[in-house]
Amino acid sequence: MSTSTKVAPFGSQIVAETLLEAMTEDERIIVLGEDVARLGGVFGATRKLHAQFGSERVLDTPISETAFIGAAIGAAQAGLRPVVELMFVDFLGVCFDQIVNQMAKHRYMSGGRVTVPLVLRTAVGCIGAAAQHSQVLSASFAHIPGLKVAFPASPGDLRGLLLTALADPDPVVFLEHKWLLKTRADSQPWHEDEPLAVEPVEFGRLRRLRDGGDITIVAAGYMVQLAYLAAQELAGEGIEAGVIDLRTLVPLDREGLVHEAASAPTLLVVDDDYADYGMSGEIIASIAEALGPEAPRMRRHAVDVPIPANKALEELVVPSPTSIAEAARAALGCG
Amino acid sequence: MTFDCTVRSCTVSSLNPLRTYQTMVTMRIYEEAVGAAVETGEVHGEMHLGIGQEAVAAALAAALRPEDAIVSTHRPHLHALAHGVDPVAMLAELLERDGLSRGKGGHMHLFAPERNFMCTGIVGAGAPIAAGYALALRGTGAVAVAVAGDGAMNQGAVLETLNLAALWNLPMVFLVEDNGYGISVRREDASAGVLAERGGSFGIPGATCDGTDPQAVLDALEPAFARARGGEGPAVVVAEVYRFRGHYEGDADQYRSPEEKASWMGEDRDPVHRQRALLVAQGTDASDIEAAETAAAATVGGWLAAARALPMPDPARVREDVIA
Ligand SMILES: Cc1ncc(C[n+]2csc(CCOP(=O)(O)OP(=O)(O)O)c2C)c(N)n1
Repeated sequence: MSTSTKVAPFGSQIVAETLLEAMTEDERIIVLGEDVARLGGVFGATRKLHAQFGSERVLDTPISETAFIGAAIGAAQAGLRPVVELMFVDFLGVCFDQIVNQMAKHRYMSGGRVTVPLVLRTAVGCIGAAAQHSQVLSASFAHIPGLKVAFPASPGDLRGLLLTALADPDPVVFLEHKWLLKTRADSQPWHEDEPLAVEPVEFGRLRRLRDGGDITIVAAGYMVQLAYLAAQELAGEGIEAGVIDLRTLVPLDREGLVHEAASAPTLLVVDDDYADYGMSGEIIASIAEALGPEAPRMRRHAVDVPIPANKALEELVVPSPTSIAEAARAALGCG
Repeated sequence: MTFDCTVRSCTVSSLNPLRTYQTMVTMRIYEEAVGAAVETGEVHGEMHLGIGQEAVAAALAAALRPEDAIVSTHRPHLHALAHGVDPVAMLAELLERDGLSRGKGGHMHLFAPERNFMCTGIVGAGAPIAAGYALALRGTGAVAVAVAGDGAMNQGAVLETLNLAALWNLPMVFLVEDNGYGISVRREDASAGVLAERGGSFGIPGATCDGTDPQAVLDALEPAFARARGGEGPAVVVAEVYRFRGHYEGDADQYRSPEEKASWMGEDRDPVHRQRALLVAQGTDASDIEAAETAAAATVGGWLAAARALPMPDPARVREDVIA
């Protein structure tokens, strides 16, 4: 892929180009979902695919999530490699049975004889559309044995993790944060050398994006970018904050987390999914189990109510660089 | 406050054309005002307007009684107005102020329990809930209306509810606003068969009507409501309409051809213009027509001023109302 274009592509374009490339190489890949064909996806993440591959391989579906996600499962079992789009993750409720009881369990229930190699792409996060269109729900997937959950934090990882997902033998839930889809590839606050040329990114290996001796902030998806911005703000006050990107929630890099936590005096987990019974608790519990009394002081900053419609209220609920920095100060006892 | 959209004339089943016109103009100006509030940034989320679909709501206003229930969709404002939901409190909610839901719900999540009105942003999710209202209202003569777009008719929740409504003989009207599209996907690329016949195998009658003509919509709604009120069970009414705006405000809307748009949005088919033409043809005084238009604009102007005068939601209450 060319990196010489002057204007960096949008995250959604990166997804579309990665899919196009993969579909060219692997004829078993089909793409299906609402508005994915003629429109190219409501976020543009499947643009040009229908023009390239036609209605045989790129299918607009009715608004029937149970039917078309179920159909993706069957097609995967029969030898295709479906990439199925759930337009907004919030619509998960409609089709949760196909995900929880079918997609996730067929390998196990068949004693390993059936595999479901599909990618369920879905847009997550708050761009201002209130309680039913702003959720992340990452933990709802991660809670279910049998699903892998990839959560890219940067344009490069949109591509790198998607390549891995497409090659994976199991169902992979691929969480695309809306802000990541809507912003350009050079907009993440850290430098990525050649974001568009990256190789597949291994699942289950976190990355450290920033060192910091005072506090380590752990996040996934777009929250990593906000944590990074918060770390820069904190640096101005003499607080050195490290930033960890989990990359995948399942598999979760527990070993890497424990290693990071062992050298961190304080740890803050940031999540734009709900706090209760969620990722933050999982991470803190994993570290506490492994390190016992040696574990650092740990805190979490996540969403605790449905997302309100009003913008000012929304800002009180959804993590931002400012609120993350505040939470970090509070965790350090200097709030 | 409620919006008086009494549009019937003394003859039952026939609309007063001038009152109906004023109602439709009021609805259009209301939606235009909401659209403008997206531009000003008073609304920061997704916004779906019902411009072009006023005739359905005006007829609905005539068919509904205050004790009826409606569960609407992500395009809910006109149904709410038709059912007498407080237009100022709703507008305030749309403008993210201390409105119907204290700024927590927003445009796709309007609740007016005093009117048995609600809507949902999850396509198709309203139908089962309407069935629940119908279950509770059964035997009272009141009806529960489930509004759905053509796209929503393919949702399992709707198809399941058709069966349930027939099985339990619920007093329900499934009102389908068929604007030909679910976002970019054409009805014919998403829906097999004929929408009005979807309930047929459950024994549910269905009718299709011209959704740009309020009288035609009422003619289709009346037997459906009468049936439901009389304890004879549910019915489906499909109103053929066109949405004049993109799916949401800001939608580039390149999936519909300029020719197609022109064919629906010209004066001969625009429901508001059509109603005006009817008045002219019937010999209504130009001054009466103008007075209706002026009154509609003044009404919405007053609502808008009243809504904008309401405070922003109280941040201290952001974590309230999750559970009791
Ligand atoms: C369960 C669910 N799936 C998808 C969506 C996204 N979505 C919102 S509106 C819409 C199209 C709905 O079409 P239709 O029911 O015909 O109503 P219209 O928008 O045309 O009024 C879609 C797909 C959603 N909100 N909920």
